[in-house]
Amino acid sequence: MENIALKTTNITKYFHDPVTIPVLKNISLEVKKGEFVSIVGKSGCGKSTLLYVLSTMDRDYEGELEINGVKVTGQSLNNLAAIRNESIGFVFQFHYLLPDFSCIKNVMIPGLKLGKFSPKEVEERAYEKLKMFGVEELALKKANKLSGGQQQRVAIARALINDPAIIMGDEPTGNLDSRNTGIVFDLFQKLSHEYGQTLITVTHDEDFAQRSDRIIEMADGEITNHGHK
Amino acid sequence: MKISVNTEIALTYLSSRKKQTAVAAMGVMFGISMFIFMQSLMKGTNDYFEKSSFSTTAHIRLYSENKVADAHMLNNFLKDNSTKILTNPKQLKQSQGLTNPYGIIQNIRKNPQVVAVTPQVTANVIYASGSVNINGTVAGVSIDEEDKMFDVQSNMKEGDLHDLNRVNNGLLIGKGIADKLSLHVGDNITVRAGSGSPMIMRVVGIFATTIKQIDETKSYVNIVQAQNLLGKDRSYVTDIKINLADYNNAPKVAKDIETITGYKAEDWVQSNEQLKAAFKIRAIILNSVIGVILLVAGFGIYNILNMTIYEKIKEIAILKATGFSGKSVISIFLQQAVYIGLMGGIIGVIFGFLITFMVSKIYIGAGTLKYLPMSFYIPHYIEAVSFGILTTIAAGFFPARKASKVDPVTIIRG
Repeated sequence: MENIALKTTNITKYFHDPVTIPVLKNISLEVKKGEFVSIVGKSGCGKSTLLYVLSTMDRDYEGELEINGVKVTGQSLNNLAAIRNESIGFVFQFHYLLPDFSCIKNVMIPGLKLGKFSPKEVEERAYEKLKMFGVEELALKKANKLSGGQQQRVAIARALINDPAIIMGDEPTGNLDSRNTGIVFDLFQKLSHEYGQTLITVTHDEDFAQRSDRIIEMADGEITNHGHK
Repeated sequence: MKISVNTEIALTYLSSRKKQTAVAAMGVMFGISMFIFMQSLMKGTNDYFEKSSFSTTAHIRLYSENKVADAHMLNNFLKDNSTKILTNPKQLKQSQGLTNPYGIIQNIRKNPQVVAVTPQVTANVIYASGSVNINGTVAGVSIDEEDKMFDVQSNMKEGDLHDLNRVNNGLLIGKGIADKLSLHVGDNITVRAGSGSPMIMRVVGIFATTIKQIDETKSYVNIVQAQNLLGKDRSYVTDIKINLADYNNAPKVAKDIETITGYKAEDWVQSNEQLKAAFKIRAIILNSVIGVILLVAGFGIYNILNMTIYEKIKEIAILKATGFSGKSVISIFLQQAVYIGLMGGIIGVIFGFLITFMVSKIYIGAGTLKYLPMSFYIPHYIEAVSFGILTTIAAGFFPARKASKVDPVTIIRG
């Protein structure tokens, strides 16, 4: 069981506004280390909601969530923040960089927060990550001066700064043209296959999903296909 | 220098909106400089009035006071345990002089708080020159000690106060008397105390205090001359004046002396109650003005931070998503408030000093007061900065807490 990166047991979640309705129903799933998983389904099927539960940011659910064999459910907010900082990297549909900071600072901030490396080392690592995505020449530019594709690549670099065990993406290519989507997909694949990092992405993009290792299909708050090959 | 991520983010936010930061800091600056200015003005004024009151009043004055008759003698006579009730008790006349004054002085000197003790003979007199008479009081003093206690020298308008020691029947008179009787240094004047025979004295000096009533009635003579004037012996002393190292201890020391000597010891607070009341009222006015200023500055910071948080709500969500805890978010925003406070504080201190300095050069020329009395008192500056920073922390805390409660899921999902 050591190679399980993430595991959920009977996760159920309700939305209360305007009326109480279940959005996730008894979701149990396992994701192995190094797997590249896509979660697909129609709008409103609960796939994003599930991702935010998995991300530890959404704590309003029933059931149990384990990350790297550690039970996460019920931990304090501060602990959860520390877990996210160290073990989870996020990529969002909208790029969400901090516009007042340079690209390299954006990438460095979670690393500085973790404090595992000295600021100097963090800077070197951040530069390496930017290089991986071919945006190293933008390092000193302010984040709000970049194009969408560039911002998304910087955002992915940021997600990787602490070498997280799991990288989560909420429509990471939803706002990108096909060329940039291709670049991002190749990077994700490289991360999972070469660096052994676990990727969980929610996507509408059929193409993108088809090329990943495993597709989890969801409908009406339930997993209809675990996609085990 | 190694600075934490939180600090770095706080500083970046501040520097990326320089205008807002400057406006907020300016609010604090005004608050703090006004605080310093007002405090300096108040302390300067208070010091001035205190000083001018101490130019005529000792910290403690010991004198013999008439007492209301009590059952003391009756008890001594009857020697029983019954309760005596005196109906309509009257004041008992006490001798005006203090018994064994020099022994008392010796005794008082032993108190470590006492820095100066001087005996005085006070007499109500009539000054006469030509056909005009004026009522007044003569203070028989040792002029050197009197000068040490009250700085008589600074009030001298004509003549030399030390002539009181040299000229046998010398007299220092207030300017009011001199004007009314048309006297100059070197003129003679007849002085008559109630019970003694009239004496001819020579004016050796004229003084003017800030208090008109004193200038029109008071004169100084050598203590021996005052005793002669009253026809009393050399041990006759009506008052003992005492100055302390710290006049704020006067009420307590006065009580001690009263218990030891059995005479009435009046401290300056009792004799200057109106002064104390004025101090208090000024303090209340001042503190409410400062309070309002700091409150307004605080609201300025609160507003600006609140707006920043609305603008940056997505960024806060991202910070939280990437592993910043609520505490870190509070730290980021509180630090911004603190830096605004520090900036405003430092500029405010400089500005406050400048205002105080400039105002202290304004000539007003009212009476003996030439310039506005301003004090330059370091604790005011320290207080101002601490109040300023406290206000900014208080003002920054609520927006910061709000920021820390941002739920990243709702913000990021939209």
